[in-house]
Amino acid sequence: MVEVAGRAVGSKGEASVAGNTPITTSGRTAPLLSVRDLKVHFPGRGGWWTRRSVIRAVDGVSFDIRAGETLGLVGESGCGKSTTARAIVGLVRPTSGEVWLNGARIDGLSDAAMRPHRATVQMIFQDPFASLNPRLTVGATITEPMTILGLHSPKDRQFEALRLMRLVGLDPRFLNRYPHEFSGGQRQRVGIARALAVQPKLIVCDEPISALDVSIQAQVINLLMDLQQKLGLAYLFIAHDLAVVRHIARRVGVMYLGRIVEMADSSELFAHPRHPYSEALLSAAPLPDPARERVRQRIVLEGEVPSPDRVYAGCPFADRCRRVESDCRATPPRLEGGNHQVACFHADS
Amino acid sequence: MTQPVLDVRDLRVVFDTDDGTVRAVDGLSFALGRGETLGIVGESGSGKSVTSLAVMGLIPRPAGRIASGSIHYGGEDLLAASPRRLREIRGRRIAMIFQDPMTALNPFLTVGEQLTEMTRLHLKHSARQARDHAVAMLEQVGIPGAGRRVDDYPHQFSGGMRQRVMIAMALSCDPEILIADEPTTALDVTIQAQILELLKQLRRDRGMSIILITHDLGVVANACQRVLVMYGGRIVEEAAAGALFEQPRHPYTEGLLRSIPRWDGHSTELLRAIEGQPPNMAHPPSGCAFHPRCPYQLPRCSSESPSLTPRDASGDGGSKACFVDLATIAAVAAPAASTAAGSAPH
Repeated sequence: MVEVAGRAVGSKGEASVAGNTPITTSGRTAPLLSVRDLKVHFPGRGGWWTRRSVIRAVDGVSFDIRAGETLGLVGESGCGKSTTARAIVGLVRPTSGEVWLNGARIDGLSDAAMRPHRATVQMIFQDPFASLNPRLTVGATITEPMTILGLHSPKDRQFEALRLMRLVGLDPRFLNRYPHEFSGGQRQRVGIARALAVQPKLIVCDEPISALDVSIQAQVINLLMDLQQKLGLAYLFIAHDLAVVRHIARRVGVMYLGRIVEMADSSELFAHPRHPYSEALLSAAPLPDPARERVRQRIVLEGEVPSPDRVYAGCPFADRCRRVESDCRATPPRLEGGNHQVACFHADS
Repeated sequence: MTQPVLDVRDLRVVFDTDDGTVRAVDGLSFALGRGETLGIVGESGSGKSVTSLAVMGLIPRPAGRIASGSIHYGGEDLLAASPRRLREIRGRRIAMIFQDPMTALNPFLTVGEQLTEMTRLHLKHSARQARDHAVAMLEQVGIPGAGRRVDDYPHQFSGGMRQRVMIAMALSCDPEILIADEPTTALDVTIQAQILELLKQLRRDRGMSIILITHDLGVVANACQRVLVMYGGRIVEEAAAGALFEQPRHPYTEGLLRSIPRWDGHSTELLRAIEGQPPNMAHPPSGCAFHPRCPYQLPRCSSESPSLTPRDASGDGGSKACFVDLATIAAVAAPAASTAAGSAPH
């Protein structure tokens, strides 16, 4: 296993080299995170007189993330992208499947057993107003994870907090301020500093910028990309904004009803989507370009995303698909292919 | 523009807060043409939503008040109209769709009850007529099984369908003007595409005039003919959508356009973010509200507030509120910028 850059924060040049190495040798290095056939099912309605239904929020998701790499997950609300993120960091318990982090299996661990792994994987949340403790100063917020994991001496933790504040672009003089004194963008920087406090190798970002003003979003995206360069971080980046994911992620998975229906390199996926759902999703996303918008063809999807408590014999997208054929309803298509994987019997080639 | 259907002049809306008096809208003038979709773009606190509330006569009192200005609709100043007259116009002639349909619909009434309430009041429909009309409206906005669903409660609809219910409600009296405040922000992109298509269809088929308030530049590019960009309670730029996106002439507009990634591009370089924070409107910056964040600021920008002037010599290409002439700067900077632009073929 490559000892990743996050440990060697002081030496910038070295760090980015080490961080980049696994990308170039991606076929040979063991992945930092491996998710295999992950399922998260929740109890649904019913259960008194009728049979309780099962909400299949995540229904067989597999992917790898290598050190220093960014994987994006996109999809509409209810597709399971956030639940996938929460299952990986242990905030919800997977129903089945495996999550491997740095060679250790971490799914279903107790809080205590999970604790040492939290130095490897951290999370940034969507709402910078709800995800910070209003009673903790910025300094206390950033040092708390270090205290819990027993990193550094108490005095060094303060220095470390100041260093992290500078790293994420916060004025170190704000060490003793409270979250309510900050704007949304600054709070998100505090959340990022807190995640970095334990020197993780992987950060799970669940819609990290969607609650921010447009002019602030770019600041946070730039910060995340800059930190990746400096520290060799890997990201699992979850967002509904396709342009943002296209910009930040090297590989992208498209989710629909709890499954990944297409996965490819970011540039490839957005230029040549092959799954009919990905095609429709991209065609629906507007571009900030009136001239292009006037001439673009839209693939209009009929209906809405069906309820995730249905059980499908075949492809869950079949009801809304314009390329549906009889075989689609018989067996579910598997995610297949080399670098550009598609779960569709009639994918665009 | 032909005779505008709505003419807002020098509108000023202030709010009294613990932090002092906030000038949420500070001298706003614009006209809405018949059959036009006008986009209003801005960040939180820019005054875009307050503008729409002012037009609807919905500024919450006593905290907020309209300090000055006029809002002319068909030769009548809405700000001088009696509450009774406003009630006749609101919903009947000028209707509004809100961002969050779950909070804008009454959870205790079926959607049918909420739809018929309006038409019985404004169009004097009988109960029977009103119900038929409600079903027809639900059908028109694309709700499957409208005959059954008219008796459902809001919580029985999905987010996209609820937004359609709200649009059906806004349209049920066939208004001349529709104000849509972030109508698709809470929706997924495929549903957003359906709703935007519906708005376009209404504009085409009924000649409806639409004010579309949004922070999403993609939505603006898709749906609007003309755009107002607001910052700190004022219009900083106003132009036809094509001209605004191709040649922004205000540094804030330019900054916004440069700071958003595109999913069809190849750019992996850093986005050019606008530095700093949006202004605190209780303590707005002196001079131009954007000057603390502006890369082009001149000494006078911190003391003088620029007024709207034509964007180009012809005078019909829109207007901007900036002392700097971005057109000449773009011409000077072009050779250096062309190398960077080469990597992002748009």
